[in-house]
Amino acid sequence: MIFDWLPPTLIGVLLVLAGIGAVRRINLWRAGQSEKVDILAGLMAMPKRYLHDLHHVVERDKYMSRTHVATGGGFVLAMVLVVFVHLFGVKSEILAWALLAALVIMFCGALFVAKRRLNPPSRLSKGPWMRLPKSLLTFSITFFVLTLPAAGILPEGFGGWLLTVVLSVLILMSLGEMLFGMTWGGPMKHAFAGALHLAFHRRPERFGGGRSTGLKPAVLGGDVHGVSKPTDFKWNQLLGFDACVQCGRCEAVCPAFAAGQPLNPKKLIQDMVVGFAGGTDEKYAGSPYPDGSGGVQDVGNAVGGKDQIITNGLINPDTLWSCTTCRACVEECPMMIEHVDAIVDMRRFLTLEKGDTPNKGAQVLENIIATDNPNGYSPASRTHWAADQNLNVMKEVKQADVLFWVSDGAFDMRSQRILRSFVTLLKAAKVDVAILGDEERDSGDVARRLGDDATFQSLAKRNLATMSQYRFNTIVTTDPHAFHCLKNEYGDFGSTALDGVEVLHHTTFLNRLIKEGRLQLDAFSGGKVTYHDPCYLGRYNGEYDAPRELLASLGIEVAEMERSGYRSRCCGGGGGVPITDIPGERRIADMRMEDVISTGAEMVAVGCQQCTAMLEGVVEPRPVVKDIAEILAGQLKEMH
Amino acid sequence: MSNFSSNDDALHSVFRRDLRTEWIARNRLHPLHDSVVSAQQGGEVRGPTGLLRKNPHVIGFIGPNGLKRIDRANGSFVAIGGKKRVPSAKDSQRPLHLVENPEGYIMVVGDMIGGRLTSHDKDILGLAHQLAAEKSKVAVVLVCFGENKETQCDLAGVDRVIHLEGNVFEGFAPEAGLSVLQQIETSYQPMHWLFPDSVHGGSDLGSRLAARLGERPATQAWQVTSEKTISRGASGSQDISRTTPRILMLMEECANAVEDTRHEALPLALEFDVSMAEGDHRLIDQGQIDVDSNAVPLAEAEFILSAGNGIHNWDQFHSAAAALRATEGASRVAVDDGFMPRSRQVGASGTWVTARVYLAVGISGAIQHMQGIGQCDKVVAINTDAGCDMVKRADLAVIADSEAILAELTRLAQQRELSKEEEESDAA
Amino acid sequence: MQPNVNVVSLVSIGRHPQSGRSRRAEQDGRAVELGLSLVGEALTVVHVGEDQDPVLRQYAGMGLPSMTVLSQGKECDALPVLTSFLKAQLPSVVLTGVRSESGESSGMLPYLLAEALGWPLVPRVAEILHIKDGQAEVLLALPRGQRRSVQVTLPFIASVDNAAQEARQTAFGPGLRATLHVETVDSVVDDAAIQWEMSAAKPRPKRLKVVKAKTAADRMKAATAKPVGGGGKIMKNETPAEKAQAIFDLLLEEKVVR
Repeated sequence: MIFDWLPPTLIGVLLVLAGIGAVRRINLWRAGQSEKVDILAGLMAMPKRYLHDLHHVVERDKYMSRTHVATGGGFVLAMVLVVFVHLFGVKSEILAWALLAALVIMFCGALFVAKRRLNPPSRLSKGPWMRLPKSLLTFSITFFVLTLPAAGILPEGFGGWLLTVVLSVLILMSLGEMLFGMTWGGPMKHAFAGALHLAFHRRPERFGGGRSTGLKPAVLGGDVHGVSKPTDFKWNQLLGFDACVQCGRCEAVCPAFAAGQPLNPKKLIQDMVVGFAGGTDEKYAGSPYPDGSGGVQDVGNAVGGKDQIITNGLINPDTLWSCTTCRACVEECPMMIEHVDAIVDMRRFLTLEKGDTPNKGAQVLENIIATDNPNGYSPASRTHWAADQNLNVMKEVKQADVLFWVSDGAFDMRSQRILRSFVTLLKAAKVDVAILGDEERDSGDVARRLGDDATFQSLAKRNLATMSQYRFNTIVTTDPHAFHCLKNEYGDFGSTALDGVEVLHHTTFLNRLIKEGRLQLDAFSGGKVTYHDPCYLGRYNGEYDAPRELLASLGIEVAEMERSGYRSRCCGGGGGVPITDIPGERRIADMRMEDVISTGAEMVAVGCQQCTAMLEGVVEPRPVVKDIAEILAGQLKEMH
Repeated sequence: MSNFSSNDDALHSVFRRDLRTEWIARNRLHPLHDSVVSAQQGGEVRGPTGLLRKNPHVIGFIGPNGLKRIDRANGSFVAIGGKKRVPSAKDSQRPLHLVENPEGYIMVVGDMIGGRLTSHDKDILGLAHQLAAEKSKVAVVLVCFGENKETQCDLAGVDRVIHLEGNVFEGFAPEAGLSVLQQIETSYQPMHWLFPDSVHGGSDLGSRLAARLGERPATQAWQVTSEKTISRGASGSQDISRTTPRILMLMEECANAVEDTRHEALPLALEFDVSMAEGDHRLIDQGQIDVDSNAVPLAEAEFILSAGNGIHNWDQFHSAAAALRATEGASRVAVDDGFMPRSRQVGASGTWVTARVYLAVGISGAIQHMQGIGQCDKVVAINTDAGCDMVKRADLAVIADSEAILAELTRLAQQRELSKEEEESDAA
Repeated sequence: MQPNVNVVSLVSIGRHPQSGRSRRAEQDGRAVELGLSLVGEALTVVHVGEDQDPVLRQYAGMGLPSMTVLSQGKECDALPVLTSFLKAQLPSVVLTGVRSESGESSGMLPYLLAEALGWPLVPRVAEILHIKDGQAEVLLALPRGQRRSVQVTLPFIASVDNAAQEARQTAFGPGLRATLHVETVDSVVDDAAIQWEMSAAKPRPKRLKVVKAKTAADRMKAATAKPVGGGGKIMKNETPAEKAQAIFDLLLEEKVVR
């Protein structure tokens, strides 16, 4: 037959082209900053990460996970077999039958992909992604027909040259998508970049059920701080951006996007890709950034290049300042892309290099530098709230079992109620507790999320130096933000102050006290209660159970909101967002309060003073907002 | 030269007691008692049936704590004869403090805002007398420029006045003032130069004089005796104690104003030709400029029209603010809802304001907001809820829909503007 | 921008009112901001004092490629050093704060400099509108947000008021990388100031409202009378026109509507 050579040649050529594309793509990533990654171990761990961790996230959408297993699994198997059967011409009916089976599985999967694309939800990107099910179907059908002779079902040479030519055209179309597109920037890029991203992930601790949420410290003193142009990212961060499948799950959970603020995590990641690959965002076919007043921004005007400053033309700084760092997008991303890291990296550039933190940001940072608290209160008034509390101060007692980290709530009259309630509980349980008093400083959370890592590091080091003078076994705090910093971020500064010290959120600590029988509480009879998971307690630190167990111990059956636990919606108080105050169509706190109201609860229990402040800022009438410590203190049995 | 002394038109303000009527009023057995008392308070009248009727409502008076008191002794009815005695500083004649042929002078250069002594100026005059009292025959001299409308210089403790008028002193003319002060320095060699350390020009003029004379002044002084001066330094965080210098710039409330004496307030001659007073030709005052009321920083604004949740017609609100020439403010909710920029937010989490008049429209008054307006003199509330905190705080509260009131206010302001223009064109 | 004008901003070490820590001084920051808005990076920023102070980096972080430090000890007088520096530099405009936040805070420095150099001084500047033909048009800040326009001949000294444009945010990176030109100078110790006793500020007693009353009854009345102003007038049932008139009368009475 005159055209018999055509299909194998096409397969071979496309494989070579894919290889060239892969090298080219890899070079794009290598333009990023070096980062030490264990290449071999990463590659070895990749299949497990893919099958276990990634699948665990995809599994949240059963339809999609099964579809993906069938399509993806079928394709990988089929592709390997295609190489053997059609490229190398291995004559084996078993292989051919296996290939047919793989193609059938893939075909079935592709049918479901196609079904999903019939009426796709708004979070999915359109454009080339609408073509993908067709390519998948074409691939499976084409190779099915092509393999039939090899499997002995059809005689060799069936259909003559005409069929061969037709099949060759179809091979070109489908393999063009599947192989060429994989490395040259088509939708299938996600498979190639995604697999490598899983292997070389910047936070390998996240795999196997671990958790890694602390930001990486900025290197201070160089020519640039933070990320100004795409090549300032670490190379594996760039690789991570390329792994995006544009499924839009991040967009669906992003509180800023829902509030109409100019942020869409999916678009942001795509803009990062535009940044390091060069070009414009005109090919982007998903939801654009909202414009902050109910409409959307135009797509196609953002221009990027690998050595071009990102905030000059690619991304509007407002987009970066809209993020509450709630990590909902990261939690939801099946590719485990780190949106928050990227956003804070770029914020660091804006704050440390440009001095361009919007609205009250500059003032807050200046206050933190000059007074160690964001509102510029006198550092000597930090302990005023505890004037009547008779608390031990570390400076005097030098050691205690528990160090109570008060946090900046000490200056806020609303938060002081939470602090007092917690102290009441500690006293009732006769805990050996002390505070740092005026020696305590802001944990640095706000400074760090606003991109001022210099100030964060200075605060962290000074706090660590203070703590290293005293001896204690446990730190307890009512502020999840301080909790996160102390637990996950202070470890990067080479201090031994926290060695062997357990850092706990007050809900965890109180839960232990109750389980040990050290607190006697009356049952609660105040109507329906729901619980709002603070981002920095839940998603950042995985503490979903202790608050619920505490409420249960009072006989409260929590009326869960639709979005709770790891899917909890942010209150809008994190990431310095109340300070940068980027206009949106609605307030995040209002949306969260609607979630609360829809449960019919009369009270919402919270475990964070920032959430309390944000939710109480919603115009009345609304359910009562109370910290769990306040609820517990109200139910404390009178001691006789 | 005008008369700076207060008028003691003593004759008609002298209060004379009518001892006889008082005595009759006290003595219930006196035959004329009834008629005198009823003449005083209209307590008893002859009713239509010819009976004597007592009106219980007019008997007695309302005491200071709001309760009605009946004074059987009629002790408080001193004001017999319908002549109410109005207590005032005027009627008690203070003793006159005379300084004849003074041998030394203390110069007080007042701010004289609007041609009148400020309370700051008066405190400094009080301090000048404390310093003068330590030596004999020292006169306290008030130096003032431009228009002088003050009529109570004598009561404020001014022994002598140097008053210079002329166009050259109008507006921003520090060099002209300085040339006068230098002339005074050569003519009188005063013991002390006292200036108010204020933003109204006192600190500027004092600093210029000190620099010109090459003397180190004490600024922000708040405790001064003839030997020792304590002044604030390091942005108010430290007290500097030193020997009292000749030039002092004094803080408010550095001493008590003169209260017990009267002074001569005689003009003091100064050989100074006003036409010779030449300002620095390198500094040309081009006058005060018309500041758009909305460009005034919120924290400094004198009159704020502030909007809250109760505003529905924002165009009307803005036009009302423009007509009244008020600076616009807003509550947090109005800002959150996007009707006003964040920079306009009044309150603990926004701007702390110091307006003299704060007109709150449709703001119920969250605690943070009330904190932010704590320093306002007069608060006016327009609100539909009579029970809200803003109405409780307000000096004048109007319970009504904001739209109608704002429309009326706009109309009134425009009317006034028109009539003013007419007056001007008539005058022209 | 006025690139041909030589502008110098003088900066000092500030003091945070709450914590007492060193910081970029409020008004000096504004002086730098005003200078930057006039001539951009051509601005010369001068500090007299210790050359190692970290606060200098906060000023530099406003986008200054370099700063000049006339290095001398804390107890030395800045005036002679600055006078000779400015005499050598001959700038057209010198910007300072109104009052420093540390040291004596007398606010005399601009005046003494002006006297020593024989230049005119404009106090409490809010804005420099333009500089043209050896003349500058300057807006002075008056209380309550009012402004006065003054024309001043170059060269001149201006002290910058709090009403001027707020100092831009200081950025860590540029501040760290800026070069400090340190010049050692012949400094003079401020003898007079050494004689002074310095102590932490004592809180000033609040002036009490003293009631001058001749009789016991009057004193009683003054002591028991309710404070005026608690509970204002409330208008409920009047017509809108009457209510508005009442408000308008109050505005007229308070002289906020003229």
